[in-house]
Amino acid sequence: MIAQQIINAVSLGGVYALLALGLAIVFSIVGLINFAHGELMTLSGYALLAALVFGLPFPAAVLVAVSCGALAAIAMERVAFRPMRGASVTSLLLTSFAVSSLLKVVFQNGISARPQAVAMPSWMTGAFSFGDFTIGVGPSISIVVSALALIALELFLRRTVIGTAMRAAAEDFNVVRLMGIPASRIIATAFLLSGLLAGLAAMLWVAQRASVDPLMGFTPVLKAFIAAVVGGLGSLPGAVAGGFLLGIIEVLLQATLPAAVAPYRDAIVLSGVIAVLLVRPQGLIPAVRVQRS
Amino acid sequence: MPKLYRLHRAALYAAVFGTTVAIVSTASAEEIIIGAATAQTGGLAPYDQPALAGLRMALDELNAKGGLAGKYTVKLIIKDTRSDTAQTATVAQELIDAGAKIMITPCDADPSISAGQLTQPLGIPTLTLCGSAPVLTAAVGDVMFGTYPADNVQATAVADFAVAEGKKKVFLLTSPDSTYTANLPEYFGKVFEKKGGAVVGRGTFTMGQPDFSAEITNIKALADQPDLIMTAAYEPDFPAFIQQLRGAGVTIPVYGADAIGTPTIKGLGKLVDGVVYTAAGYAEPGSKLEAFNAAFTKSAGHAPESTYEVNGYEIGLILDQAVKTAGSDDPKAIRDAIAGLKDFDGITGKITYAGTDRMPLRPVALMRYEGGEGKHIQTMIPAAADVPAP
Repeated sequence: MIAQQIINAVSLGGVYALLALGLAIVFSIVGLINFAHGELMTLSGYALLAALVFGLPFPAAVLVAVSCGALAAIAMERVAFRPMRGASVTSLLLTSFAVSSLLKVVFQNGISARPQAVAMPSWMTGAFSFGDFTIGVGPSISIVVSALALIALELFLRRTVIGTAMRAAAEDFNVVRLMGIPASRIIATAFLLSGLLAGLAAMLWVAQRASVDPLMGFTPVLKAFIAAVVGGLGSLPGAVAGGFLLGIIEVLLQATLPAAVAPYRDAIVLSGVIAVLLVRPQGLIPAVRVQRS
Repeated sequence: MPKLYRLHRAALYAAVFGTTVAIVSTASAEEIIIGAATAQTGGLAPYDQPALAGLRMALDELNAKGGLAGKYTVKLIIKDTRSDTAQTATVAQELIDAGAKIMITPCDADPSISAGQLTQPLGIPTLTLCGSAPVLTAAVGDVMFGTYPADNVQATAVADFAVAEGKKKVFLLTSPDSTYTANLPEYFGKVFEKKGGAVVGRGTFTMGQPDFSAEITNIKALADQPDLIMTAAYEPDFPAFIQQLRGAGVTIPVYGADAIGTPTIKGLGKLVDGVVYTAAGYAEPGSKLEAFNAAFTKSAGHAPESTYEVNGYEIGLILDQAVKTAGSDDPKAIRDAIAGLKDFDGITGKITYAGTDRMPLRPVALMRYEGGEGKHIQTMIPAAADVPAP
């Protein structure tokens, strides 16, 4: 049972890590916490649903949905955030809230206020067992996909010119621009990556929840924000560490708290976050150039 | 614009406007305003909107025949609560200020109570669209009426059925986040234990929680395995729970109540095979409900999604009957008339308020999903003695 709970924790932590990473990438470059990140997930979810309704095979539908998330992120930057470039942190934050609220209302009024069921292929609800130990296919996929995405991102940042430029921009954007790398390209790439991560996270999220609804982005973006802050705002390894930590604490508490205390679970988790920040005010793995939103 | 001139113009407008109002009000002196503080956006919208669609259809039909009791033309003012309890109080106040003599509130106890606290001192009869928590009416006072079968009644019906099926051990999954999700499974547990069953475990979740895996692992680890899981979780939590439960290889049947009788849950297909839920009625061939469904489809352009539509429609009929009995549009008289309603012939069956604490006695239909369709099991009114106190 303990091993089972560890798998649960890693599976949830992986999804949180993907989400926190999506927030952290954009934050490290432009200093914006994009609260509309959750709506990128919602959009990918609806794209998956639409692709399935149009009869695309499941893998193709997933591909379409993830690309939709990435494209939407670029569009969001172009339409909402580029005109605000250089604005204060507060203005950027408010812009992201505005985009988020706007998209929620568009989803509610344009699609439906009611959640839409997404029929996952039946093999995804299956489980395989070793002895008396059962692992669901869903959690396994979550773990594998999160791990692959983290490795791919790391390779991209280490091995490509634009990746290197992005890491440099996170430390000192102006110097990178002096080196002749266009700012717009770096920022667009940051949004593209965050959109890809949001799309992937959305697939894992929807696979576990079997429905998409207009408000589904709210909880994940909140969790991602907490994870990113705990990890160290703007630090990519920090976001991953924060995501896993949050997932592990949540599952641990859910598994062990007696029923009478269980309703206070979220309060306990958030108290834990405060405790971590008291000991390490810059987060678990602070960013090289610390910024505060 | 000089100030004096502005004042003159204002006075002129007032004069013109005042006359118009006077003319209109003499033309339809017998107008009654019904205020609907309901969610058009947010988490309650999928429940409020179908119910409101039913109510509007009833009021349109009644208006075509002269209005409530044939003489009070209904003016329905709808305001969005955004599924927010504080916002519900704000719009309820706006509706009262607009002259509402009857108030309609959302499909949930908490916002309904916040609106009820404003209507109670004024004696304005207040009906929740499909809020079913039996504590709701006592929390407000004598103006507050439920319309949907109450949670304890629904839970008794499901428990009676589970006992009759031979189920012995239940696991209750609750959420403290709403009265509905917190209490309904507990009502079930009370009846189930009274009739010889046992509650072998309890678990909780937070509404909107992404991950049920820890809870599910706890269920799997129970020494005494339940043969039934009872929950009042609804969308999007219910799909998430059952997806992850089945994904973890657990095949224990899951029963719920009215909030999972929706197209979303039906759309889950094979995943929800065997799930038992409740409804306010079932459209048997030749029944009034079947005729209503056909009429609704014709007027709305789509079939009813659930029984919330017919429940909303019946609210219109109840109001019509109450105004008839009251013989006036006085809110207090209408309230008394609703409270005295006995064996009123609704669309789904007989509806009685007399002798209750304003949660109606009415039939509950038990349904089960099979192959992506809701199949009718039976319709029953649980024995009053079996229904646990709120």
